[in-house]
Amino acid sequence: MFKSALAVALAALAAAVQSQTYAIDPSHTAVIFEADHYATSTNRGRFAAKEGSVTIDRAGHKSSVEVIVDMASLITGVAALDRQLQGKNFFNVAEHPVGRFVASGFSFADDRVTEVSGALTLLGTTQPVTLRAMRFNCYRHPLLKREVCGGDFETTIRRSRWGITRGLDSGFQDEVRLLVQVEAIAQ
Amino acid sequence: MRRLAARIAPLVSLGALALSPGLRAQPLTYRLDPTHSFVFFEIDHFGTSTIRGRFGPVTGEIEVDRAARRARAQVRIPTASVSLGFPAFDARAREGDLLDSAARAEAFFVAESIEFDANRVGEARGELTLRGTSRPLALRALRFNCYLNPLFRRQVCGGDFEAQLLRSDFGMTFGLPFVGDRVRLLIQVEAIKDDPPPAE
Repeated sequence: MFKSALAVALAALAAAVQSQTYAIDPSHTAVIFEADHYATSTNRGRFAAKEGSVTIDRAGHKSSVEVIVDMASLITGVAALDRQLQGKNFFNVAEHPVGRFVASGFSFADDRVTEVSGALTLLGTTQPVTLRAMRFNCYRHPLLKREVCGGDFETTIRRSRWGITRGLDSGFQDEVRLLVQVEAIAQ
Repeated sequence: MRRLAARIAPLVSLGALALSPGLRAQPLTYRLDPTHSFVFFEIDHFGTSTIRGRFGPVTGEIEVDRAARRARAQVRIPTASVSLGFPAFDARAREGDLLDSAARAEAFFVAESIEFDANRVGEARGELTLRGTSRPLALRALRFNCYLNPLFRRQVCGGDFEAQLLRSDFGMTFGLPFVGDRVRLLIQVEAIKDDPPPAE
């Protein structure tokens, strides 16, 4: 894994800053979902993040994040499946064009975010969700000349909690794994 | 695709031949289901987060010789199908110094001898040809299963496979080291059993 001395130094510097706000970089923020297909293979799809911001407060308790997900951006590689998932039996994107993750429960270890607990709103229903950090890091972006923080997060949700029950009676699973890539640029 | 039956025929058990003396022994052919056959990939971004993308649907055939417990696979990957979530990223990935999609429309994965046991596949060792460069590639099965698909009313076999490569091995060095060299492949594949071969 690439990791320069500069990145380490900047991470240390960032730790010294009490509270910093970052804007989500939509070109490096996305939600990938993984759903079982007949106990055989894994279907995957992607949602794009529309916008969002993160405040990291390592010393205090004022960390927060809000990310807006563009539900119509859903893409699996199979156009017919995209239409089905965007339709009324699943995400109903015509009536609910955005999903929203809002959280203020941040856990840290050595100044790195390890867990974020908050609420995910889909289809107008809000349910608690905890994202676990698979990794987290801050670096100085050489082109943007700014600090960027981000990482990979994961969680497994039960879709029925948001009322998405289609296919449960014909062997499709309730559990869906979410893999979240996120990077956010210091403001 | 080359006809492979002649080379595989000697592997078929004598018992099967004795049961059907009028038939020439042929392997079973499975064709990749274009709605469940994709290559997903993961690449590190600045040691911080993971870029995820997709190729496909991929197409191809798998020939299975149950008696010999061997299979062979030929898979074609359309390079221009690369999807990173942003059209500008996709266009950049198709350029000459990366996927070179104009000159190399397809990448290929060919595995001549995949061993399996009791319908379980452990590893598929083969060769990946990308940008005209061929390198060995081992696909490790994360899971594998066969089932009767209710939509197709046919047997479907497939699974999830994982592999790793260095993109620099295939001449793709743009963005190093900020965008990682190591590429993790996550392959979803399901293949539908062909009709049985006609009696001769």
